[in-house]
Amino acid sequence: MPSLLFSFLLEINSYPLLKVMYVFVTLLGILLVCTLAFTIYKRKIDSNKKLWEPDAALLISTAIFYNANDTEYKDAILKNEKLLQKAVFRQYLINEIIIARKDISGSSTLNLKNFYEQLKLNQDSFKKLHNRKWHIKTKGIQELAIMEQNNYQKEIFELANYSNEYVRNEAQCSLVNFYGFQGLEFLNDITYPISEWQQIQLLNKLNSVKPQNFEIIKKWLHSKNEFVVIFALKLAVFYNHYELYDDVVNCLSYKNLQIKLNAVNYLKLNPRENTAALFITDYSFDNKIYKLAILDALKDIGNETEITFLLKQLHNADNDIKIAAAKGLACLHPLGITFFHTHLFADENPWKSIFLQIENDRAA
Amino acid sequence: MTILVAEDEIIMLKTIELRLKKDGHNVIICQDGREAVKKIEELSPDLVITDMMMPFLSGLEIIGAVKRQVRKKIPIIVLSAMGQENIVLEAFQLGADDYITKPFSPNELSMRVKRYSPQMLNAQL
Repeated sequence: MPSLLFSFLLEINSYPLLKVMYVFVTLLGILLVCTLAFTIYKRKIDSNKKLWEPDAALLISTAIFYNANDTEYKDAILKNEKLLQKAVFRQYLINEIIIARKDISGSSTLNLKNFYEQLKLNQDSFKKLHNRKWHIKTKGIQELAIMEQNNYQKEIFELANYSNEYVRNEAQCSLVNFYGFQGLEFLNDITYPISEWQQIQLLNKLNSVKPQNFEIIKKWLHSKNEFVVIFALKLAVFYNHYELYDDVVNCLSYKNLQIKLNAVNYLKLNPRENTAALFITDYSFDNKIYKLAILDALKDIGNETEITFLLKQLHNADNDIKIAAAKGLACLHPLGITFFHTHLFADENPWKSIFLQIENDRAA
Repeated sequence: MTILVAEDEIIMLKTIELRLKKDGHNVIICQDGREAVKKIEELSPDLVITDMMMPFLSGLEIIGAVKRQVRKKIPIIVLSAMGQENIVLEAFQLGADDYITKPFSPNELSMRVKRYSPQMLNAQL
């Protein structure tokens, strides 16, 4: 039999098609074996989890109601002493503690935190921060943040400027969770971009209590990282802080569209006497979205002084600019929308359609 | 008091069970809606605490099943992560007596349960 197989294998060399089939079948066999091995491994983990469920439930539920005289908790720990030395069980326990932590509030959360620390599960979470895989690093940060492990702040702070975006985002959110506004200190050193979504997440985590010191936002408004400048502008709007006006005006000089738009947004909400004039001066920036933002802002903060400028825009080649200018005139012109009927081109398109649309919108 | 607790998350179930047992109550636990309704019909507990999202039958269906049985008026406390106004209102309209959103304090739950003890209910009458 072996000699037959050997001679068969020798023959394969002389038939290219057979060779390909042989390789294909071998690869398929390896794939099947790997799939089978992985399935068996997963099933083993799942069956372990089923076995561990009552033990984990007992440990966590007794920990939640721990008091010094409670023997139930000590008995539960003793009963599971061997299991608590297994890394896989410890990770399973951490996962269940995190789920429980999200569901409970009040003094029980402190008991759960003490339980987590007493079993040194925080060290298991901390070890993950040094893992090469980004998803494990992120999990470690999440676990430490949810379990309020403030003493690992330094290590998490370093990860706020990590190369992987998910790790960075998780670290940044954790710092803000721990320390509120003070947790944003990572903005001093960050060199990577901060996505729009991440900025929203960070703003959502900041409570409405104002920081005592706005000097740090001024510093961020002058950051070399343009994403930090954008976020600082959003903070300026978020806290509605009037004293940042001059620094925000300075942001109009950037070429970055998002910075300019966010600066216009702040100035629109915190206008001074010269704000409209500033907008008109900066109107020459060659971007339609920016021009529309300025025209929209002038509608809210402008006065009769801006009418001449708006009348000029009514003759811009772009109809969207015409519409925005017309809306501004409807608000600022002493005649209001009746001004449209006096306009030189009131009966010509596109002005006729534009004026009619604005009148209808106003009536609605 | 005999209290039936319906919750599919085993750790929450054990936590609530332990809290109520510490208060001296007799606790019946269920991990799915179908089992909960069956045990309510068989054992007629004094109070039901139920989650909203469970296998087979939801918390709302359990409330409906409890209110349909005329043998005994059983107060129901809903304990759920779903805190949207429309769901809370629907639970109350179906007959829930209390609604606690997660995250919740087990100690607070204990105090709320005490309000439904026979002594407290008799005192109110």
